[in-house]
Amino acid sequence: MSQGSRPRPAVRRRRARARRGTSLLRLRIGFILIAMVLSVFAVRLFQLQGVDAAAYVAKARAEGVVTVTLPATRGTITDRNGVALADSVDGLMLVADPTLTTRHASQIATIIAHRLHLDYFDLLQRLRRSGTHFQYLARRIPATRATAVLTAIEKRGFTGVYTRRDPVRSYPAKDVAANLVGFTNAMGQAGEGAELMFDKSLAGRDGRATYEVGGGNRIPLGDNSTVPPHSGSDLRLTIDRDVQWYTQRVLRDAVEHANGLSGAAVVMDTHTGQLLAVADYPTFDANNPTASPDSDLGTRALRDVYEPGSVMKVLTTAALLDAGKVTPRTKIVVPPTLPSSDHVIHDDIAHGTLHLTLAGALAKSSNIGTALAARQFTPRQLYDYLHRFGLGQTTNLGVNGEAAGVLADPSTWMQIRQDNIAFGQGVSVNAVQMAAAVNTIANGGVYVAPSIVKGRARTNSGQVVGSDTTTEHRVVSRRAAAQETRMMETVTMPGGTAPNTAISGYLLAGKTGTAQRIGPKCHCYDGSRTVSFVGFAPADKPRFLVYAVVQRPRNGGFGATVAGPVVDDVMKYVLQKYAVPPTGRSVPKLPLTW
Amino acid sequence: MSTQVNQVRSRVPRVAGAAVERARLTLVPRARRPGTRVPFVVLVSLLLLGGIGGLLCFNTSMQQASFTATALESRAQSLNARRQGLQMQVDSLRDPQRVALEARRLGMVPAADPAFIRLGDGKVLGKAVPATGLDAVRLTPLPTRKPRDLRTRTVKVRAEVSAKKQAADGAAAAAPAGQTGTKKSHVR
Repeated sequence: MSQGSRPRPAVRRRRARARRGTSLLRLRIGFILIAMVLSVFAVRLFQLQGVDAAAYVAKARAEGVVTVTLPATRGTITDRNGVALADSVDGLMLVADPTLTTRHASQIATIIAHRLHLDYFDLLQRLRRSGTHFQYLARRIPATRATAVLTAIEKRGFTGVYTRRDPVRSYPAKDVAANLVGFTNAMGQAGEGAELMFDKSLAGRDGRATYEVGGGNRIPLGDNSTVPPHSGSDLRLTIDRDVQWYTQRVLRDAVEHANGLSGAAVVMDTHTGQLLAVADYPTFDANNPTASPDSDLGTRALRDVYEPGSVMKVLTTAALLDAGKVTPRTKIVVPPTLPSSDHVIHDDIAHGTLHLTLAGALAKSSNIGTALAARQFTPRQLYDYLHRFGLGQTTNLGVNGEAAGVLADPSTWMQIRQDNIAFGQGVSVNAVQMAAAVNTIANGGVYVAPSIVKGRARTNSGQVVGSDTTTEHRVVSRRAAAQETRMMETVTMPGGTAPNTAISGYLLAGKTGTAQRIGPKCHCYDGSRTVSFVGFAPADKPRFLVYAVVQRPRNGGFGATVAGPVVDDVMKYVLQKYAVPPTGRSVPKLPLTW
Repeated sequence: MSTQVNQVRSRVPRVAGAAVERARLTLVPRARRPGTRVPFVVLVSLLLLGGIGGLLCFNTSMQQASFTATALESRAQSLNARRQGLQMQVDSLRDPQRVALEARRLGMVPAADPAFIRLGDGKVLGKAVPATGLDAVRLTPLPTRKPRDLRTRTVKVRAEVSAKKQAADGAAAAAPAGQTGTKKSHVR
């Protein structure tokens, strides 16, 4: 290697310097580059730490932080003995991602259909649905069963089925008291009845827990905060589930056999006004409200008004007795017909001139006899009595949509209106209202407001209701109530309109009612009827009042033959269940005729 | 002035010459070498190690506790779910409708008129009457009625042959419906 073949180093250096510039220049360029890079870093640093810091912190936290809603347990609705009528259960829903389940759809569907008793083909269709990542498979399943199904599916190595929280509101007694308890819809929201009435207090308040997790476990000392849930308060009704069940069955039987439109029955504790049963037919299964028409979801006993008919005579005659205008033995000459304004009043069964006592007019349910007796009142006097019996105003139950009924202002009454009202036409009531009115007689002349909630509870509208807040007021004297009771006893005796309702060993005070009914199409009396019966026992020491009403029976039945047996059966049942022995008093002897 | 100051300065050493001589700094004789530092270092290291080890153990045990907590929580949840499931089962078994149907299967009906035995003197209050099948209450709804088009209609056709026969046989032949070609209705 000879040196001569290469340029000398000095020359080389000079050439290089010419190419790269001076060292000072290079240094400057280098510094500028470094400064540029560093300033980019600085800006980025500022951005990360200064500007977007909060967002990144949140992002970082979200990575490991879990927020769980701690659901408040919805309060239980129980009957008077603490038996659950509506209960909340932890439930889960099964959902599927069809994009993952399509391949093994048939196997998965088999497992689910088999374990949860669901339709296989429906499941198959859902598991194979295209163009979606979400399909409901089953809703509101008790947690244990849902988890078992999921475990079985995962064990076979299938994916794409998940569970999600889905609280279950269970109504163990199904249709029993469904008309009062109501239901919750698929979203868990209250839909009707007590569920809706007391939704605020039943619902409670959901809590929240936030914590960091790693590998499915809570990181100790990590950020966490918990807001505990407030469970909803329980609600206790005055209803007795067994009495309610029995009443509903007896009522259903009666309405079906009379081929009626609908029916209602009320069982009331005479002294406290607590409702032991408020039955409606047709009604619905609270676990499956969508299977019934909307019109069946409410409580007819409170929302439907009708003309009560002859049961009203109890109130009219009691008012007359209290005013001292008549006694049970007052003699009335009952003509075959009674002209009134420009109408003519008839009795149910055509008759010649009868000589009835007041007791006889009630026992034989004479419209003419009652109207004649009631003519001793001015319209205002009769109105005041009926108003104090609770007619024309809602009972203080707090139930949504309760109908007040109609009791027209007395200044508008003509003779025919007063005569009609005296025997229960031209005035409308709901079933609970009427039961409470007649209960005044059973309770010695004191009206006691009915209640459906045991203790007290605040409704959504802020009204405090319940057996603790019940009010009482005297309507007729004790003496008048006792006389009225004696007269009502004759109704269930031979010679009365309902001898078939007697309970052997007991004195049953009762009254039948068969009223003309206003049809929905013509808004006039269309020939259909409302039949009813009210009874309380033991008549000389009343414990319970039972009232039953059936709308539009088509078998030609009357109050005594359609509604009477309902009251009779239910009364026997409650007397037994609450161990009310017969008083052993003998049958009263009140003359019915003269 | 400056001469005076200088005079003072030059005078001092002369006054306390011996003392100044004595106070002059000298090298302190070398002290005894302090004991070895090993124990201290060991102590600090041990503390350090112990601290780290303890922290590690503590952390691990916390982690362990967290696992246990998660496991127990899920167990509690599943047990609660199970309890609720069983409660539902009990409720459905207590359903009055089910109990009544079961009772009916055993041949039971609601009692007739209520009667009681007073335990004090064994007296029967009320009229004790045995219940019969007539006291039974229908527990299930009637079957749904068929729509009008699907109901069987009863059409009565008088057979011509039997008309003469009837005259001859008298009242006895009138009864059987089959001869008159009547279709039995299925309507209740």
